[in-house]
This record gives sequence, C-alpha cells and structure tokens, in this order.
Amino acid sequence: MSTIPKPPAWIDSLIGRLAPTHLAEEIQGDLYELYRNDLAMKSIAMARFRYIWNGLGFLIRRFFWKRNSISHNNLTMLYNYFKMAQRSLLAYKSNTFINIIGLTIGIASALTILTFIRYELSFDSFHTNRDNIYRVVRVSGKDMSEFRTGISYPVPWAMRDEITSFKNITAMEYFGEALVEVPDAHGNIVTRYKEMNGLALVEPSFFQVFDFGDKPLKWLQGNPDKALIEPLSVVLTESLAKKYFGEGNIVGRTLRFEKEADCKVTGVISDLPPNTDFPFTMLIAYSTVKLIHKQAMDDWSSVDDNHYTYVELPDNMSKEEAEAEIAKVHARHTPKELHESRHYLLQRLADVHFEAQFGNYNGRTISKPMILAMALVALFLLLTSCINYVNLATAQSAMRAKEIGLRKVLGSNRGSLVSQLLTETFVVVLVASIVALALSEVLLWNLQSLLNLHLQQYNFMDPFILATLGIIIISVTLFAGLYPSVIVSRFNAVNSLKSKFATETVGGFSFRKVLVVVQFTATQVLVVSAFIIVSQMNFFQNRDMGFNQDAIVTFPIPDRDSVTRQTIEDRLRAQSFVSNVSFSYTLPSGVNRRNSARDIWREGSNNENIIYEYQAADSSYLNVFGIKLLAGRNLTPLDASRSILVTQRLAQHLGFATPVKAIGEEVKMSGDKVTIAGVINDFYNHSLKEDKGEVAIVQNPRAYGNYSVKLQTSQDRESLQQAMAKLEQIWKEAFPEHIYEYRFFDENVKAFYEQEEKYAQLFQLFAITFLLIGCLGLYGLIAFVVNRKSKEVAIRKVLGASIQNILVMFSKEYVQLIALSFILAVPAAYYTVNSWLNNFRNHVALSWWMFLLPGMLVLVIAVMVVILKSMKVVNANPVDKLKYE
Amino acid sequence: MFPVGKTFVLQKLNNSIMASRIYLGELEELVLLMVALLNKDAYGVSITEELKKQASRELSISAVHAVLHRLEEKGFVKSRMGGSSEERGGRRKRLFSITAYGRQSLEELRDTRNTIWDMITKISPA
Repeated sequence: MSTIPKPPAWIDSLIGRLAPTHLAEEIQGDLYELYRNDLAMKSIAMARFRYIWNGLGFLIRRFFWKRNSISHNNLTMLYNYFKMAQRSLLAYKSNTFINIIGLTIGIASALTILTFIRYELSFDSFHTNRDNIYRVVRVSGKDMSEFRTGISYPVPWAMRDEITSFKNITAMEYFGEALVEVPDAHGNIVTRYKEMNGLALVEPSFFQVFDFGDKPLKWLQGNPDKALIEPLSVVLTESLAKKYFGEGNIVGRTLRFEKEADCKVTGVISDLPPNTDFPFTMLIAYSTVKLIHKQAMDDWSSVDDNHYTYVELPDNMSKEEAEAEIAKVHARHTPKELHESRHYLLQRLADVHFEAQFGNYNGRTISKPMILAMALVALFLLLTSCINYVNLATAQSAMRAKEIGLRKVLGSNRGSLVSQLLTETFVVVLVASIVALALSEVLLWNLQSLLNLHLQQYNFMDPFILATLGIIIISVTLFAGLYPSVIVSRFNAVNSLKSKFATETVGGFSFRKVLVVVQFTATQVLVVSAFIIVSQMNFFQNRDMGFNQDAIVTFPIPDRDSVTRQTIEDRLRAQSFVSNVSFSYTLPSGVNRRNSARDIWREGSNNENIIYEYQAADSSYLNVFGIKLLAGRNLTPLDASRSILVTQRLAQHLGFATPVKAIGEEVKMSGDKVTIAGVINDFYNHSLKEDKGEVAIVQNPRAYGNYSVKLQTSQDRESLQQAMAKLEQIWKEAFPEHIYEYRFFDENVKAFYEQEEKYAQLFQLFAITFLLIGCLGLYGLIAFVVNRKSKEVAIRKVLGASIQNILVMFSKEYVQLIALSFILAVPAAYYTVNSWLNNFRNHVALSWWMFLLPGMLVLVIAVMVVILKSMKVVNANPVDKLKYE
Repeated sequence: MFPVGKTFVLQKLNNSIMASRIYLGELEELVLLMVALLNKDAYGVSITEELKKQASRELSISAVHAVLHRLEEKGFVKSRMGGSSEERGGRRKRLFSITAYGRQSLEELRDTRNTIWDMITKISPA
C-alpha cells in the first residue's frame, strides 16, 4: 500500500485551513478517494492534476465560505472589546488623559505639517503639460555661479523666429506694484489705487502653455483670442475688476497706470489660484513691451530679472537638445565674450518653486531639503507621541497583571487578549485623531501667515487628509499598541495572580529606556537646531553691514522734477527733527530696492570687465547712511558724473593695492572716462546671505528715485509721531496726485530675512512641541514609578535617607538617559544645522556651548518634571505608606 | 396598515404549503434521486459516480457537494458522519439519506409530471 504515490499535499492543507471545520474532513476524504480511483484508471500526472482541479473547485463554492455562526460570534466579541476598552480607559483616567493629549499633539502637528507640505508641493503642479514646460534661465560667470532669471528682450522674439521645433514660447514681464487710476466717462480721475503686486505683461500664448489643469481660468468677459494682442490692452482678474468698476460689463473701459499709460480693458478672467508662482491680477498685453523698453528691444546684453520666457517642448525633445537650440540663436546674435560667459539654460517648471537661487515672481521658494526636514519633523512628532503611549502602556501593565491573569484563567487566549488591548489603543488613537483634526484646523487658520499658506478648503472635508488620517490611525494603533499588548498578554496567569509583579523589570523596562532615549534624541536635535537658528537670526539682525540703518525713513520720488526736489530738501532741512537728508537712485541695501549693474574697466589691468552695482546719490548719502570714506574726498554737486566713489573691494578688484593708490585714477565706466574721487568702506548691498558687493557711486540728480531722512535720535514716541505726520504732509504737498508711501530703512533690511525668520519661529514651535510631548511622557512614566516605589521610599526615609537622596535616586536614571540622548543628538543636529548655515555666506561660528546650552535646558526641564512629580511621594509621611501591610 | 399578527403570518404560511411549490432544480432533483437510489451509501464520491452511470452527467465533486448542501439546507436530505476507511486516507465520509419530506417532494413532482403527460397525450396524441 505504501507504493501509492501521494497527491499534492498543499491542496490538502489548503482545504484544511480554509474549509469550515465541520466540512474539512469529508472534503479531504472525497478528494482522496477520487484520486485513488483516478490512479487506477489514468496516469499519475492526470490523477494529480484532477486532484488539484477538484480541490480548487471547492474554492469557488459559496457554501465553502459560509461561516454564519462564527461571524456572529466575532461581532459579539468586538462589541465586548469596545466595552472593556471603555471600562479600563475610564479606570485609569489620568493615564488615558495623558495618552490622548500626547497623541493629539503629535497627530495634530503631523496633519498641520502635512497640509503645509502638500500646499507647497501643489504650486503650478496642475498644468496639463507641466512636464514639458521649462523656464529659460540665465546662468553666467566663468564658473557658472550666477543664477538669474532675466532674459534679454530680443531673445524670445528671436527664438520664435528661428526655432521651429518648440511647441510654444511665451514671454512675460512682472512689474508687481503699480499706481492705478480709474477715470470716469469724461477722463477725470476718480479713484487711485496703489497695488503692491499683480501687474504683469503676458502674451496670449500664456493661456495655452499654462492651462491651470482641471480648474481652468474662465474668461468672464472679452475675447480670449484677441484680448492680449493690441499694445496697451489689459485683462483684469475678477476680484480686481470688481474693486475698480463694481459689477457689469467693463470691456472698453480705461485704466491709467503709473500716470503714463492708458490701457483699455479687454477682458476679465477668474482669479488665479493662490498656489501658483504667477501672482498676476492685471495682465497687460506683452506687445506693450516695445513701448516701454524702446532701445532695449535690440539690446542682447542688458537684462531685467523680471523678464521671463517659458517654453513648451514637444514630447520627444530633451532639455539638452532645447538648450542647444537656444544657444545657437544666442550665439548668432551676440559677440563671443557675451555668449561665452552667459548661458541661457532651461529649468523645469516643477523646480521653479523649489530652487531658491533663481527665485520667482512670488518671491517665495522652499527648498526640497526644507520640505524633507519638515516631513521628518512630522514623522518624529508622531513617533515620539507613539513612544509616550508605549511607555505608559508598558508601565501600566504591572497594574493590569491581575486583570490579565484572571482573563487567562477564564479562558482568554493570547490572540483575544492582544485584540482586546489593541482595541483600547484604537479607541485612544481614534479619540486623539478626532480632536487632532479639529486642533489642526485651528492651528492652520492661525498659522496661515506664519506658514505663508492660503487655505482653500477645510481639512476635514479634504478626502486626501481624511485618508491620511485613516492611515495614521491604523499605523499609530499598530505601532503604539502592538508591543504593549504582546508584552502584557505574555504574562503567566498563575504568577500574575500571585502578585509577583511589583518588580521594576516587568514590561520590558530596558526597552522603555531605549524608547525614552529615542524620544529625547529627537527632542534635543530640534531644540539645539532651533537654538542655533535663532542665534543665526540674531546674527543677521545685529551684524554690522557696513552702513547705519537706525532712524532712517525713506520715501519714493514719483515725479523726478528737480525743482520739486530742491523744495522738498529745503523744507525738510528746516525741520528741527531732521538730522540730514539724502537723495539717491537707490538705497545701500534692503529688499525691493532698485538695483542696476554696469561694467567698469581699467586700462592696464588684465582687460577684464568688472560688473559692479551702480548707485547714484548726492553728497549727503555717505553721512546719512554712515558709510566711511577711507581715502580721497566725497562727491560734490560740481562733480556731475565725471567722478565716482568706489568701495574698497572694487578698488582692489581694479588692481589698486591700497585705497590711496586709487585716488585720482581714471577708469572706463560703460565706455565713459571717469575719475575715482574717493574710496569708501565695503558694505553688504545684498543680504548677509551673500558677500559684500562691489559698488560705485556717482552724482546724477536725474536718476534720484527716492529720498532718505535721517531723524534726530533721542526722540520720544509722541514727537516721533508728530515728525512722521509732518513728513507725510511735506510729501503729499510735493506729490498731490500720488499715493503716499514710506518705509523705515531698518525694517527694509530686516525683510531680507523674512523667510528665515518664519523658519526660526516654526522651529521654535516644533522644539516646544517635542519638549511638551517628551515631558508629558516623562510625567506619566515617573508617576507610575513613584507610585510603585512609595513603600521603598518610606522605608528608606525611616532608615534615615534625606529627601535629596531620594530625589537623586529618582532622577539619576533620567539624567543618564537624557545625557545619552544628548550625545546621540549632537552629530545629527550638527549635520543639519551646518548644512543650513552653509546656505549663507555670513553665519555664526558654531561652538560647543551652542549645543551644550540647549541640551542643558532640556535636561533641567526634564529633571524638574521628575522632581515635581516625585515630590509628593517623597514628602509623604512614611507611616501612611507603611501602615497597610 | 397591514394586519401583521400571528394569524396573518400563519395564514401566509398555510397558503404557501397549499400551493405546494417545491423549489427543486433539475440538478437538485437528480442528486436527490441518487441519494434515494444509493439508500444508505450516498456520499460525495458515490453520488458523482452514480450520476455518471445512471444519467451520464459528469459533475465535479465540489459541484455535488454544493448541491448536497443546498438539499440539506432545504430539508430534503439529512446527513451523518460515517466510518473511516483506508481508501479515504483514514478520513470519515458524510453519509446522506433522503428525508420523508424529500421523498414526498419527489413523489409529488413525479405525480405532477404524470398528470401533465396524461393531459398532453389526451389533447394532442402523437
């Protein structure tokens, strides 16, 4: 009989495992019997095949899967689990509370960060052809180190004429702010608006390249094909149209821009979404560019960094091929020096929002590493709140040992105990998630300006967020619940009922130590990073930039009429609160200042054209901004534009070893011969993130675009207000038809670091959150330890231990753990912070105390938590604790 | 509203029995016949073989099992576990036997058919 070949065993075990228990035997038997019959009649292979075939046949039968009575049973058990969970959660209220709070904070922060990251990643990601759209960027310098976005004006026209293989080309220029005047039917100005952003020149092809995906721009009025063809025609967005004209058809109305250009409204479109790097509200036909930059239209060398060109490539064309095409066009029109030092390259649309070195119209980028850092923070916040739960649950397990023992005695198997404990975790996580969803909503609405985000919908209505929350619930439940439930369900029933669990080792205490270390390592990394980020911010604020920024107010000059200028200057100087006044083309530094570059050249040096920043200013410029003259003399009105001041670095670059040697020397500036009258100290004409620039200053009254008033210091608040009112009055009388604006120079400089300031605040917030969750966990943990050791403490006290002794006993272990986590945290924090600081040319020098100080802070806070919690037990009268035995 | 009460439900039940609708598919009837035929020795394999022999129907074993389950649910057959044997690898078989209700249903079906056949031959003789 043993000669009979066996049928495939897997079918047998498959049936055994899947079939209802009362049916398995007969099915297996029938299959085997058939197999035996087949063996007698057919080949072995056929018999085996039929065995498998027949066996699998059962899997498609409905009766095979019916489990009526059992599923009913499961439901009852599930109900029972929830009931038990409710009871035990209510039995340990403080513990449950700590767990819910911890998880809520963790989940809410994770959701908030997730929403933020998602918003940042959504920028311009909706255009249908986004993968084929590129921005033409300008990379120049010998070492290709200068990254800019400006394209010379003739380039897009030439590209269109000479390159046929591109699918589409669209040029645009962004002006941003604009003075807009709305005339009535007779041409009289009725209202005047100063818009801080939104004015752009765009081509009709803009709407072909950027289709805004599934939420396309709607043309509410006007003809999309013709609206942006004629020069001086303007298309408004819906909200702006309402602001200027109210409701109704406005096509054909006129707007006057900058008191110069009368533009005809040719269309109204729906507002652009907030998550686009095209913040346009007033779209003027690009053809107007010829009227604005008359001579620049044939100038292949000068550029404006707000003049962009986007190209859409056909599917089969690579970025490199397209770059080569553009290079050919550029080479055809420009001399060798220019096209060898300047390269027009392509940047993917998907990178426009993330590559800070180029920037975009929104003035807002976020680097991919920063997004990664945020995601890690979110992940670790979740992790650290899970760790809290694990720690508390395992610590608590000792108290539940009897319950578990009894359940086992009454017939619970391990699986059902694990399900029971997991259900408890699930309930806690579920409650925490619901609270967290609400909390994240509140957080997001309050943090909108800090995070610089524009919410379009509520989180709880967003299916993506809800789905993510579902995943978070499941994974947190498993992550936080699985280990404690496995540990607890492992208890030996007899031992636990005999109350042998009063020892410290229960519930994997060493694992708990590991978790505490992990938790505090993450916390320390964040706290140390936040500390150093804040130090860097202070560095930015306090570092000497080479000029004085206090008590200086700057005003624009909208009308460059020299008579007005003299009047203003005389009136200002007559004021007692004015210390000095300077008229200039631009300011030494600050955001949104005018900034123009030219080239300078000295005969006899190695024939190199040096690009420098050109500033025009009057004689008091140096005095107002506290810039020092190192050699030579200041400029006087008699100098006209024949004499210049140069910074020390520029003088050196021109080949003068010392400032004195440069005085009186001739150089060629944009082809004109000028004399160096003086050398001034170097200053940061950009932010401290970059190096000191090379600057030359000339006198050119016609170029002066603003004036700066240095106020007398030592003024109280009231007289300052009066002074500001007087300044406003003087300005308004000089320029009655313009909208008043002013800026404090120091705020203007501070604005360089707006984004960093936000990150600093954000990371402080993260650090505090981490610390909060960590301390919450520590508090819960120490509460258990202290309670369990209350007798031990009492006996120690009776035997003569002092309170300090006992406090040291409790906190020693945590000091060790936190010290260990500090040691682990330092390399991680160093790496992160160092790579962040290296983005800036000027940054704080890292030193050991910058790590130690925040580390100590964490330690002190943690020890305080431990001591505060144990104080109650330590101070208790030993008699009370030992009375009952 | 509807008169939902004990009497109403009973009445409904009665009606359905009176109408004597027997829900028995063709295959079910055939398998039920085999169970009756095999008497005390009806189980999955024997029924499959008998079906082939008597009615030339080749059914897979799982299909036979499925029909037997349905018949048992409807109360036409009952089952008990039989003895184990070596040719089944030492596993027991489930033996089916026809219930009185099953037998009555079969007879009723046969009678109905006979009646109808009688009428057919009377009305339109071949």
